[in-house]
Amino acid sequence: MKIRVQNYAPEGFIALDNSALIYPPTEAVFNANTFRVSLDLSFTIKKEILEQAVYDLLERCSYAKVSLHAGFFWYFLSPNPKQPVVHPEGSYPSGRFFFKENNGYLFKVLYSEHRIALECFHALTDGSGAIAYLKLLVERYCHYAGIADFQFPGGLIFKARPSTQEFSDPFQHLYDKTLPSFLKISKAYHRKGNGSIDDCVKVISASIPTKQIKARAKARGITIGEYLSSTYLYALQQLQQQEVPVRRQRKPIRLSVPMNLRKIFGYETMRNFTLFAVIGIEPALGWYTFDEIAKEVHMQMAMSQDRKRLLSQIRRNVGGERTPLIRFAPNMLKNPLFKLLSDYLGDDQYSGVISNLGQLDLPPALEGVIRRADFHLSPGLLNRVALAVIGYLDTIVVNFTSFLNTDTELERLFCTFLVEDGIEVTLSTNRETDR
Amino acid sequence: MAYCIRCGVKLEEGSKACPLCKTPVHLPEGMEEQKQQPLFAQNLPSRGVGGVNKTRKGVIELIVSLLVISELTVFLSLWLSGNGSQSFIPLFSIAMAALSLILAFSVKPAYTVQASIQCLLAAVYLFGLDAADLEISWSLIAGPAVGVGWLYFVHPFTRRAAQKPKAAAGACLAGSLAYLALINLVLEQSLTWFIPVTLPVIASLLVLVGLFGLWFSKRKNKRVPLADVVLATLVVLFGTITSLDFFLSWYQLGIFTLRWSRGLLGASLVILVFLISVSVSRRVRRYFTSHNRHT
Repeated sequence: MKIRVQNYAPEGFIALDNSALIYPPTEAVFNANTFRVSLDLSFTIKKEILEQAVYDLLERCSYAKVSLHAGFFWYFLSPNPKQPVVHPEGSYPSGRFFFKENNGYLFKVLYSEHRIALECFHALTDGSGAIAYLKLLVERYCHYAGIADFQFPGGLIFKARPSTQEFSDPFQHLYDKTLPSFLKISKAYHRKGNGSIDDCVKVISASIPTKQIKARAKARGITIGEYLSSTYLYALQQLQQQEVPVRRQRKPIRLSVPMNLRKIFGYETMRNFTLFAVIGIEPALGWYTFDEIAKEVHMQMAMSQDRKRLLSQIRRNVGGERTPLIRFAPNMLKNPLFKLLSDYLGDDQYSGVISNLGQLDLPPALEGVIRRADFHLSPGLLNRVALAVIGYLDTIVVNFTSFLNTDTELERLFCTFLVEDGIEVTLSTNRETDR
Repeated sequence: MAYCIRCGVKLEEGSKACPLCKTPVHLPEGMEEQKQQPLFAQNLPSRGVGGVNKTRKGVIELIVSLLVISELTVFLSLWLSGNGSQSFIPLFSIAMAALSLILAFSVKPAYTVQASIQCLLAAVYLFGLDAADLEISWSLIAGPAVGVGWLYFVHPFTRRAAQKPKAAAGACLAGSLAYLALINLVLEQSLTWFIPVTLPVIASLLVLVGLFGLWFSKRKNKRVPLADVVLATLVVLFGTITSLDFFLSWYQLGIFTLRWSRGLLGASLVILVFLISVSVSRRVRRYFTSHNRHT
């Protein structure tokens, strides 16, 4: 298949990619649309060196040197001449992005004593793209700090010229208007949680030995990601049972699982290239055992990754963007519509988000140096707890991010299930109660 | 490194409590753990602030956008067709409708709050429509009517009214009287029919309500069947209408007589006799209740 690539014109107008269109208008206090990836290293991070590394990163990935603007018809990106800012790390990750404080950049580089973190507004890229940026950043940092010269397996090559595909929007190439549009599904169960909320993102981080969880997942014939999704669904099922005693009144419990389409469609883009698999159970039909959930999840994940279904989903998303009524409506009308649509076609349909970045491939030079890797998602107002998973060396880190100030019931049910299943779980948190 | 005795999870070194169930960590005597490494750097900032629901924000933005577009469209079309001077009422109506919707979506979704705001907006709207010709006339009657409606349908549901129901009932009565006096003043520039008709009618209403209240409160077990309440209400209603006919005849003809309410008076007397007989005679009461139905 011939791949048509959208030209990147540094001095011009850069259109947002299809899946990024929804993020700027829906950005709000409790809907930050941000995420953070970070690496903890054994040496002390120096700000000056990190600034140099960021400079290199933008030199290599000029398509990230952009700022967001509201046009008359659409939001758009344009080259940002300002210097990027390196921030000291705060207490809460994945909060609302204040673009002005960040010189207009859609990503934020943060550092603490041993950590380099990259926080991204979703309009720039997705989790896999952010990991690629972070890898390059760490690589350049280690180069300037004189620690080691290496290259991450499968990462961006600093010295190579950026390929035009890196800033292409594959959704536009894959759009086929002859396909039927993807169907909308009914509303799912949403857990409000108890107690108050505020916009500080509270984190409970569970570290799990990869070997143990792999063995438990393998025994059931599923992947680690599917095992964690099943555990999440199982915990939500228990919570729903407590909240809704009448079985017939129970709504479906569904999870939104972002899928990296790069591997499925063979694109190397650095923009958003994910779609969401919506997997779930119907508690109105009866109680699901964990093994039944695992079976359902395995089957539904396989179906969601089917190329034909994905193309139909792309048809719906891009088709919406190309509708003349939407295309020529002014931004001031589209913004509120998008806010409503993001609930109707997004948040309403699922009860939680679980994003799995997979195992982080590390170069041998970094293996002794790396202390920890993290991935945090910003939660929403409808689904107040989000779950992000990343693996490094022999550990898997599951980060629960939440707006709820005191309610940790979902996290408790999730972790105690893992413990009961014979998996060792080590917890750490930024919640005030623990300090 | 400690474990939570309740959840079974391992806790980071230095943890004081389990983050999942808040169970405190108790170390053996003499054992001390290193201080916990915080998950994130820096001190905790002050608590965050609340925010606006995304969907509500979307709806409000949509209303504002449509308001601007429709105001411009209406104004331009009227102006270009040479009717620019008549644009006040449509523009004002659109603005008030938008304001009403925006407030409905932005303030607390409670009946009393929402209804109070909508009543206020309705009153302002009526005054605004009337003022289009730079004179205020009919809105002096229509505007306060919204206020009386508020007294009857919103105020009784407020927290203060629920605590003091008698004061709420008094406010309803006083508000109604004031409204009737206002109508009289607006229409005839003096209290022509308010004093000779309205006040005696209201007085008879109060007397009837008071008598029934006294009677029912003096009952032995203080239980008042619903049927008695309904029948008493009918007597009060018919009696008040009869008094209206009585005082209106005097106001219009100069003589105290009943013209069209004799039937109502008869009906109210029959009901009253029935109520008294049911109350006095156990036999009559049993005849009309289910006690002897199967005997």
